[in-house]
Amino acid sequence: MDDSDEALMARVARGDQPAFRALARRHVPAMVGLARRILGNTADAEDVAQEAMLRVWTHAPRWQPVAAFKTWLTRVVVNLCLDRKRRAAWVDLEEAGELVDRAPDAVERMETSERERQLQSAIEKLPDRQRAAIVLTYTEGMSNAQVADILDTSVSAVETLLIRGKQNLRRALGELIDEEG
Amino acid sequence: MNNEQLQIFLDGHGADPSRWPAAQRVAVENFAASNAQARVLLERARRFDALLTRTAAHPVADEAAAARVLMRLSDLPAQRRPFWHWPLVLLDWQFAPAWPRMAALACCAAVGFVVGIAGLDRTLERYESLQTVTAQADIASIFEPEALTGARP
Repeated sequence: MDDSDEALMARVARGDQPAFRALARRHVPAMVGLARRILGNTADAEDVAQEAMLRVWTHAPRWQPVAAFKTWLTRVVVNLCLDRKRRAAWVDLEEAGELVDRAPDAVERMETSERERQLQSAIEKLPDRQRAAIVLTYTEGMSNAQVADILDTSVSAVETLLIRGKQNLRRALGELIDEEG
Repeated sequence: MNNEQLQIFLDGHGADPSRWPAAQRVAVENFAASNAQARVLLERARRFDALLTRTAAHPVADEAAAARVLMRLSDLPAQRRPFWHWPLVLLDWQFAPAWPRMAALACCAAVGFVVGIAGLDRTLERYESLQTVTAQADIASIFEPEALTGARP
């Protein structure tokens, strides 16, 4: 049986729940990771991944395979992340609830060198779209054209986002970037 | 090209030549080959890209997070169907096994439509009405009085 994303989506469109679960098992870990990199915390990343997969389920009957499923799903996740970041700026402190610890856990801390930890922290402080462009380019290994497709913008706009993002990172980290290793 | 332009190019496209636009690749490679400072910029860009890739490669979401999401997806809402869904369901589900009969019905409808549009049925009606009129005229002439003598049959 064809178990490509597109074949599974065709089954999901007919209300096939096992096909949806297979699709979710395949993509949820990567989507949580992507959302975590853009949003900076795991709790929000889980919410975004869940929301994205629910959209996959509810919109499956209307889905047209004009783009690869993963590209479409990545676009949904990135847009949900950017929406969430925009909304979060307006949320009152009282509504914000319990603060999420954004520091990496002990295991992650041991595995990550100080330089990489500082870079990660600098990436999290970038403006949203610059961070999204950096994350999609270096985490997902996407070309500028693919990033432009995901962010619904032009290739030259993506180049500008990457240029400004890297300039900001260089300013934040200074000489640390040029160290060997 | 100068060093400032090269830096902007490397920030926008990265240090991996396979990601560079073909139209600019040769110019950048020639500039880097002829300029020592350009080679330094290229090397720095390579190191920066490697650091970004390495940092990005660290797993930031554990399996437990993915498992929690999958768990929360166990209760699915109703799907949003397009408005043409129900006619398609009827065709798929109710009539699909009887497709030869559906095809025959469609053929009959098509033949009826063609006959109606071409007016093939009208010729017959016209012929019948003509026959009727002719028959009535014949009957009348039988019972009419003789024109010369006035005698009735």
